[in-house]
Amino acid sequence: MSYPLGGYTGQILRVDLERKKTLAEPLPKELALNYLGGTGFAARILFDELRAGLDPLAPENRLIFATGPLTGTLWPTSGRWAAYAKAPLTGIWGEAHCGGFFGPELKYAGYDMLVIHGRAKGPVYLWIDDGTVEVRSAKDLLGRNTAETTDMVRERHGDREIEVACIGQAGERLVRFACIMNNYQDALGRTGLGAVMGSKNLKAVAVRGTRAVTVADDDKFMELVDDANQRVLKQSQAQQMMKYGTPLLVAYKSNIGELATRNHQTGLFEGADRLNADTIREKYYAKTRSCFVCAIQCKKVNRIRKGKYSGTISGGPEYEGIYALGTNCGIDDFGAVLKANQLCNLYGLDVISAGCVIAWLMECYQRGLVTRKQCDGLNLKWGNSDVMVTLIERIAFREGIGDLLAQGSVQAARKLGKGTERYVMHVKGMEISGQDGRTHRSAALTHAISVRGADHLRSLVTVDQLGYEDTAAKRYGKDKLPEICDPYGERYKALVVKDAEDTFAIRDSLIVCWYSCGWPPIFWMSDFAAASAAATGVKEFGDVKNMYRIAERICNLRRAFNVREGLSAKDDMIPERFTREPMPEGPGKGQVANLEVMLREYYRLRKWDADGKPTERTLTELGLADVAAELKRPRKR
Amino acid sequence: MAKIIYAGEGCTGCKACSVACVHAHDRAFGLRATRIWVVREEPLTDYPVVCHHCDKPPCRDACPVGAITKRDDGLVVVNERTCIGCGACVEACPFGAMGMHPTKRVAINCDLCGGDPACVKFCPPRVLKLQVPEAVAQEQRVGG
Ligand code: SF4
Repeated sequence: MSYPLGGYTGQILRVDLERKKTLAEPLPKELALNYLGGTGFAARILFDELRAGLDPLAPENRLIFATGPLTGTLWPTSGRWAAYAKAPLTGIWGEAHCGGFFGPELKYAGYDMLVIHGRAKGPVYLWIDDGTVEVRSAKDLLGRNTAETTDMVRERHGDREIEVACIGQAGERLVRFACIMNNYQDALGRTGLGAVMGSKNLKAVAVRGTRAVTVADDDKFMELVDDANQRVLKQSQAQQMMKYGTPLLVAYKSNIGELATRNHQTGLFEGADRLNADTIREKYYAKTRSCFVCAIQCKKVNRIRKGKYSGTISGGPEYEGIYALGTNCGIDDFGAVLKANQLCNLYGLDVISAGCVIAWLMECYQRGLVTRKQCDGLNLKWGNSDVMVTLIERIAFREGIGDLLAQGSVQAARKLGKGTERYVMHVKGMEISGQDGRTHRSAALTHAISVRGADHLRSLVTVDQLGYEDTAAKRYGKDKLPEICDPYGERYKALVVKDAEDTFAIRDSLIVCWYSCGWPPIFWMSDFAAASAAATGVKEFGDVKNMYRIAERICNLRRAFNVREGLSAKDDMIPERFTREPMPEGPGKGQVANLEVMLREYYRLRKWDADGKPTERTLTELGLADVAAELKRPRKR
Repeated sequence: MAKIIYAGEGCTGCKACSVACVHAHDRAFGLRATRIWVVREEPLTDYPVVCHHCDKPPCRDACPVGAITKRDDGLVVVNERTCIGCGACVEACPFGAMGMHPTKRVAINCDLCGGDPACVKFCPPRVLKLQVPEAVAQEQRVGG
């Protein structure tokens, strides 16, 4: 099999679960040249193949597992892969990224991308063994958690090295924020893509790939790989990541008053010391692990030796897990956080949404908007870790109050009423990640404009959060200091957010890890350009200008997907808490975010209209005239 | 003789050694044509497995066509042209350190990349070494 471009396998695997038909089709060269991979590919396919207003749980929704031209190579962090669909949690663009080993394995089986159509009549799993693809019964896998499912599939095929992506009980029950798991602790976490699998009666996708991926200019590529690895090894923040992993952020954020606490009521948590990286390292650390060929190696396994959760051994939690299941619920018991994080992985729940929906209910309880009786008699006072763990179980199995919470906090609040809506911390229907735009100003804009809802990973900027002045000067020019690094100022924030969103669109198409560019800030667009050109042999990729053009094309197309669903500037909002309630304490006391000015500037830089819609001219300039035409068509619902 | 040695601690299971190995031999990135394997087990186990270049190689003894020899320099080598791909050596190796190339269908084992092994160069946590076992033993005696 030879494909004219290096890095790619040159095939897309389509599987129709309804008809049990599978088809390997060639990867169109124009798709690779114009959209690069991963997120770019998915944007084009979902925009073309889905219609506005489609129910995300309908069989017509597509579920895409994608890789990019660097996936499976020796580029550090190239084990990343991603899933895409219209999202059950939000009804808009859905995207979730993941580490582990599944992405490389899919490529070694010969596919850049897997596109799943339809709904199987009964429970099935998909078995991809290089060129042999089968839809098999998953009757015996039903009701199994994600670890059991992985083990059973490996055992059935007599191969411990098969990679398995699967859902747990939560996905089977269509919990709106169910995730897809692989490799036991790696999650395609956000936007509820596990429920898409559940709606398709697809319990798991198992893959064995015995082939290999070649690049266009092997010598040049390996030179870049060596250099990239050296840079990772020399970078001090990367060293820290290797030692502690993302829990490092607990102390950083505590210092700047951005450690979201009790449903974001404040940015200081009195129990932060019990959850910070030093404490975890000292008391709970058991082992360092890593995704595929990664030199950063941020994955930590922890073990609880004492107390109620004694005996728990599990990978994680990441910073976001500590935030969502810990500080945001007022919980400082690391054992409970690790346990809850493990349960989320086993049942297949997104850790952030799960923690946030509980934090929201706790705040409603604090304010007397729900009674204990309404909550199955549970005492929802802040910091009640037993109740938090119980609620994770109830959500996953949709029992009692868990059935309400399983709909996501926006829907749950709508049902509950009585002013509970005011305390939902979300954007576009997705629960908020652990940043606070009041004391990390660019995060306000990042949350507001993120294409998948209140998310940090599509455009989070760290130069103003962590004060990376050298990085800011290098990327944007010295003249923009100090404002660009000021966490309390709006100036230049639209510029850096747009640049991050563009760079990350490329990162998410290659696909490589966030922990190599955003934080710690090792690679940026020019590195990605050079690696892409050497890998694929496409000279144009080597020019940063062309990369930005591809990035803008991807960002505009994803945005157009949401515009077609009826979204506009009014949806680029952040919870009122960030714009109206001044930060009550800490270094950023009194701060609020002025979103309006940043938004206006962001739309201007994007060349969108005042309503946040890509203009016909902007789209046409990016080669998306067909998208402009589609957006002009009257909407049929 | 020097061989690839894992000190028994610090492997993170990233499989960079395996991919680097395939790349060094095939100029392609993959896992199944590797000559060094990583065992990953939940929740705490990761370690590499690679040919020990035994003095009395069970793989050689199991080979029905004499394709495996112990060279004077100590290396256990497979003659790919003689190999019939029966897999007897793969089964015979007590460590599971003999593999089968997925496309060439011949037995493959570590050849130390001619003296500068790619896996050792690539190992991100730097826990693989090209060393003489006796030297490792000396270090262990000193370091405990
Ligand atoms: S930095 Fe961490 S999450 Fe990213 S690829 Fe490496 S081990 Fe995986």
